[in-house]
Amino acid sequence: MPDWTSLKWLGWIGLYLIPVVFLPWALSRAWVHQHGSDLHLRPKQLFQRGELGLLSLILTSSVIWNLLQSQFMPHTVALGSVLMALGGIMAASTWVEAYCRESSTKAWNPARAWRDSRNLALMVFSMAAVMEILLDRFAKVAGQ
Amino acid sequence: MSAPAVARSKVHERIVVVRLADAAEAMAALSLVFGLLLVFFPVSFPKMIVNSWEHGQLMPVMMALALLLDTCLYLRIAIMRSAKPGVVAAACLGSLPLLVVGGLSLLLQSAVSHTLALDMPNLQLRVGEEILAHTYLGLISAVFLPFLVIRLLQQFKATNS
Repeated sequence: MPDWTSLKWLGWIGLYLIPVVFLPWALSRAWVHQHGSDLHLRPKQLFQRGELGLLSLILTSSVIWNLLQSQFMPHTVALGSVLMALGGIMAASTWVEAYCRESSTKAWNPARAWRDSRNLALMVFSMAAVMEILLDRFAKVAGQ
Repeated sequence: MSAPAVARSKVHERIVVVRLADAAEAMAALSLVFGLLLVFFPVSFPKMIVNSWEHGQLMPVMMALALLLDTCLYLRIAIMRSAKPGVVAAACLGSLPLLVVGGLSLLLQSAVSHTLALDMPNLQLRVGEEILAHTYLGLISAVFLPFLVIRLLQQFKATNS
């Protein structure tokens, strides 16, 4: 029988998605409406400099914090934290690289920055989701 | 040799450049599948993993799976970029997944023995959850770390050349 209570991580991730992805998009729509512009901004254009990498780093910090609070063995906590941190750092580096390339004379490809940050953010999101499911399961076992 | 022929031969000789974003897609898919299996089979899937660990089959299966995944992923990137697979990358992909899974199995043994040494209730269930977490983290490490090493080596080589 499916364990639907594990799906509460969806709400938890939603707390990050709403202010970081949906809110900037909604604000941009409001700006377009206020200024009577015919701009049609999409998330791809809003986050074309790899800003999703920053979101991934914030999400990573939160998962590491939850891991440190858990009753998993220190080995598991260390392994999970290092992996999450590596994923977060790599995601954030796409934003830094895009910013550095744009600010310097190096070739900058917005499509590549968007693709890289989107893929790495997706990876961090799915890793965070599985870690939260594992933390939830362990909390139930430890609480019995 | 004519100029187009030289250009063509250069294209054929180009070594594939790996970007972490390519491996990230596969890792996201792997994580989602693992998460969905945990949600839809909350008892049977973990039980299967714990049983295979107890029979000593988990690590060989993880090694084989990681090797297969890494090879398929690298070949897919090579085909997408129309570039030739490199020797260093092939060596990394051939050895690192095995080393990572082997190293993490020692870490798991240590975590399990520490758990069993504790005076706590539900020890067997706790051990099961530790095995489950290590299985997931081991799979992710075995895909992520080889590609991270290849990426860093490629950047180091590009900086020095």
